[in-house]
Amino acid sequence: MEIIRFIVPSIILVISVIYLILTFNLPEAKVGNPTAAMNYPLLIGFSLLGLSILYILSEIKDKKKVFDAYKIFADKELTIQVIIVLVLCLGYTFLFERIGFLISTVLFLGALLFLINGRRKWLTNIIVAVVFSTASWYTFAELLSVSLP
Amino acid sequence: MGVDWNSFLEGFTTAMSFQNLLFIIIGGLLGTIVGMLPGLGPATAVAVLIPVTFGMDSTNALVLLGAIYYGAMYGGSRSSILINTPGDGSAIAATFDGYPMTRKGQAGQALTLATLASLVGGTVAIIGFVFLAKPLAGFALQFGPAEYFFLLIFTLSAVVSLSKGNMIKGFVSMVLGLLITTIGIDSQSGVYRYTFDIPHLSEGIDFLVVIIGIYAVGEVLYNILLIKDEDQRIKGPVGKSWITKEQWSRSFWPVIRQAPVGFLIGILPGAGGSIASMISYSTEQQISKRSDEFGKGAPEGLAAPESSNNAAAVGAFIPLLTMGIPGSGTTAVILGALIMLGLQPGPMLFQNQPEVAWTFINSLFIGNIALVIMNILLIGFLIKILKTPPHILYPIILVLAFIGTYTLGYSIIDFFILMIFGVIGLFMKILNIPTAPLILAVIIGNQMEQNFRMASISYDSIWGMVTASPIAILFAALTVLSVFLPALFNRLSRVK
Repeated sequence: MEIIRFIVPSIILVISVIYLILTFNLPEAKVGNPTAAMNYPLLIGFSLLGLSILYILSEIKDKKKVFDAYKIFADKELTIQVIIVLVLCLGYTFLFERIGFLISTVLFLGALLFLINGRRKWLTNIIVAVVFSTASWYTFAELLSVSLP
Repeated sequence: MGVDWNSFLEGFTTAMSFQNLLFIIIGGLLGTIVGMLPGLGPATAVAVLIPVTFGMDSTNALVLLGAIYYGAMYGGSRSSILINTPGDGSAIAATFDGYPMTRKGQAGQALTLATLASLVGGTVAIIGFVFLAKPLAGFALQFGPAEYFFLLIFTLSAVVSLSKGNMIKGFVSMVLGLLITTIGIDSQSGVYRYTFDIPHLSEGIDFLVVIIGIYAVGEVLYNILLIKDEDQRIKGPVGKSWITKEQWSRSFWPVIRQAPVGFLIGILPGAGGSIASMISYSTEQQISKRSDEFGKGAPEGLAAPESSNNAAAVGAFIPLLTMGIPGSGTTAVILGALIMLGLQPGPMLFQNQPEVAWTFINSLFIGNIALVIMNILLIGFLIKILKTPPHILYPIILVLAFIGTYTLGYSIIDFFILMIFGVIGLFMKILNIPTAPLILAVIIGNQMEQNFRMASISYDSIWGMVTASPIAILFAALTVLSVFLPALFNRLSRVK
């Protein structure tokens, strides 16, 4: 049996248990019914617990069927590309308020384009990164009066 | 309770103002462009473009969002017809006969036919809307907390049972969405729930960040995994744009017949464009004398589902505007945007702000016509856009997602939340866990909890809530049916 198929259902099971523990430890309300804030979350927590068990059981029932959901990660190059995209997102998050919207967006979009569109189309990448970033800065900051760093 | 003609006419005049016409055109075009991208449908289009409505008057913003939504529906069928790649579920049926028409060198005619069919479908549905909206809003005014609670549960369970993937995964998705809405200060008791001493979380997780994360970031990450270097060229010449008499006469009755079908399906929670277009396609195939031509470029095979899915798109606004209940992921996104704009869709909208509601309804009609003109005149331009490689457009959408998120709360913490939900969205897609129930739950979760708590004060037990009124009994019964009927049908079909 492929253990891999149980990863997500097990994570959901763990989430439901943690959620229920946190719910039982919620402070009592100082006004009105003291447990009012926890009744509805309890309903949700137990529902999720029950559903995660059903999810695991359904995976056990399907154990003879091929589980190929993660086959999408078979192409290592593309998988690495997605990981790099996430790292770039983190980098953007880190730089956004530090160096300002315009420069960080040009860098972020430029990096994404070089990664996904390829290095050979460097001129297109640079033009798109600069033009789009400037246009969106103008639209949000000037036309829509949104304050950007 | 009939049609409020004064408000209707007032709405028409407002919708025809220069500013709103401009928004209809801009929204329609933007929506068409995003909707044309493979894998990205109206929900993503609306989600990433919500920030564009910032600072706008709520009526203008609603008109713009409606146009984006509509444009994306049109855009979805453009890519289905031209490159056999539907933008979203409701555009799948357009590939069956639309793409074969393109291969026969009739791309231009296929695009025009789909556009005209959409116009008819949309118009029929808008007429239905005008007559049904007020009576339904009046009916919804009778709802108390118990009725609303069961209506919300029914909507969620209907979305789960009709969404793709299995029911257990659908309910997991729904409950996770409800769980997210319990984060933050409890508005009634002031208790901090699951905030982990992070001040930003005390206000809860902004549902728009969840939406943008799942629909925009998640979809883009998924599509990056699928990017292929193959050239998405349009096979065959585009050909003439104007349709022949024969094409129109073959399509006319199917278009007229399927519009009300799509409209009624659109009103049902959970159903929507995908189911409407599939039902219309298969019905027309069954009753057609030329059923053997279906799948080989039959014009009615393209026109019928296009009419139906556009009618469904309008129908979906009925529960949204009259009861505040979104019936699908996409309308849930629009509800989220409306709440952000300070509008509360529901029966009171037609009483307190009839001009907003009627301007929007009229703008749908005008938008339909504008999109027809744009789609016919701009065929060449749209084809050019379709040639823009997704390698360029996906990074742009990702950046838009970040900018949009920042403008919602001016906080970098939201970027982390966005990324987390992007990854969750990616895995949900990979594991075939439907995202619509989660999105819907995130948006209506708070409303559900408040109604649950108010109802539990009025009635001692769940049973008391169920038996509060015939309406509550009806929705509770429908909820049970929507959960068990699909399983029962499955079992019956296996026995056969």
